[in-house]
Amino acid sequence: MSGVIDKIKERLKDFRRPGYYKEFDHHYAIVIDVDRCNGCEACVVSCYAENNLPVVGEQGCEDNRVFNWLRIERYIEGEYPDVKVKFIPVMCQQCDAAPCEIGCPVYATYHNQDGLNVQVYNRCVGTFTCATYCPYDVRRFNWFSYKWDKPLDEQLNPDVTVREMGVMEKCTFCIQRIRGVNDKAKDGKRKVKDGEIQTACAQSCPTGAITFGDLMDPESKVSKLAASKRGYKLFENLETKPSVIYLKRVMD
Amino acid sequence: MILKKLVILAAVFFVAFVIGYGIDAALRTDLDPVQPIKFSHKIHAGTNEIPCQFCHIYAERSRVSGVPNVQRCMGCHKIIKTESPEIKKLTAYWDKREPIPWTKVHNLPDYVYFPHKRHIRAGRKCADCHGDIASMDRVRRVSSLQMGWCLQCHKKYDVKNGQACWTCHI
Repeated sequence: MSGVIDKIKERLKDFRRPGYYKEFDHHYAIVIDVDRCNGCEACVVSCYAENNLPVVGEQGCEDNRVFNWLRIERYIEGEYPDVKVKFIPVMCQQCDAAPCEIGCPVYATYHNQDGLNVQVYNRCVGTFTCATYCPYDVRRFNWFSYKWDKPLDEQLNPDVTVREMGVMEKCTFCIQRIRGVNDKAKDGKRKVKDGEIQTACAQSCPTGAITFGDLMDPESKVSKLAASKRGYKLFENLETKPSVIYLKRVMD
Repeated sequence: MILKKLVILAAVFFVAFVIGYGIDAALRTDLDPVQPIKFSHKIHAGTNEIPCQFCHIYAERSRVSGVPNVQRCMGCHKIIKTESPEIKKLTAYWDKREPIPWTKVHNLPDYVYFPHKRHIRAGRKCADCHGDIASMDRVRRVSSLQMGWCLQCHKKYDVKNGQACWTCHI
């Protein structure tokens, strides 16, 4: 196993020079306080509504074609009186050293100036390589061109592409919202305030477990939370350098 | 043997030509579709010199420039030229309370994010992309609206992040 990881690290060095992501304009990140998450899945629902995700139904779930860009993982420890439950929301980690970017044969996934790992739908040819390389299992594939029933197509978000068959997709950190706020700030000739941009999941979280912000700004709420002692990242040993930071659950 | 190869080669070229011709024709057919009402931009924007954004009001403040609603047309045509047969068609739509089913001339695919606002505020003129609309009776698409055509300008004016994929494809 470690041999494989070393090989991947070697390939990463060839692909991108180290620290290239520090030269970008922004470094958007999400901090998730696992201590506050109670697993209500409101974020999942809002993600479906915001990003035009199709609902695949029972058979689709059985075939592993479910479209949750954001999922809640459950960890249950212990026997009945002493049960400890942990919920971890997992979305695309927007890794700085993303393994999926090495794999793609057509460069449909790359890093843009917002410091986000992005997926270009109309360039994607659907080789599935990125999904295979992704250690977090967050990429979703369009097996069909999904259709919405008559009244439901009215609720599609006009700012987001409705993806077609044969295209890989994943969490975008709600790029359309980032775009919208940046647009407004540009019109007002001012800088974007901290906390002005909110992803759909952060907005809908009832306990405020999810915080979105710019890590490049040292005064932002996210930077302060990220410096917390409880902070950790998923699969840190793979050195993918995720942009999603989790704050550990404290259990007595 | 050589003859056989030549025949196969000719066949392949023929098929490629037919497919290429079909694609080309499909891209070029609807350059100037026939509209339900013979609306003339030449009269409105040319002769009468009405500015574009008098009717397409959202161009400066939204992603779409906006097709003017029937009320905007009727604002003038309740009084002006009410006897003309084309205006009578317009009045019929107004009485039925229905939108006019215009055919879209400049149609971008769903995966293209094109804000009119950003382009207008950067000082681009409508005519840069839409051509000299003021001289057209029926609107004709003059630009290819292909990605290479967009990038020409993005390169020329050195747009910030103008050549990153996700600037337009989100």
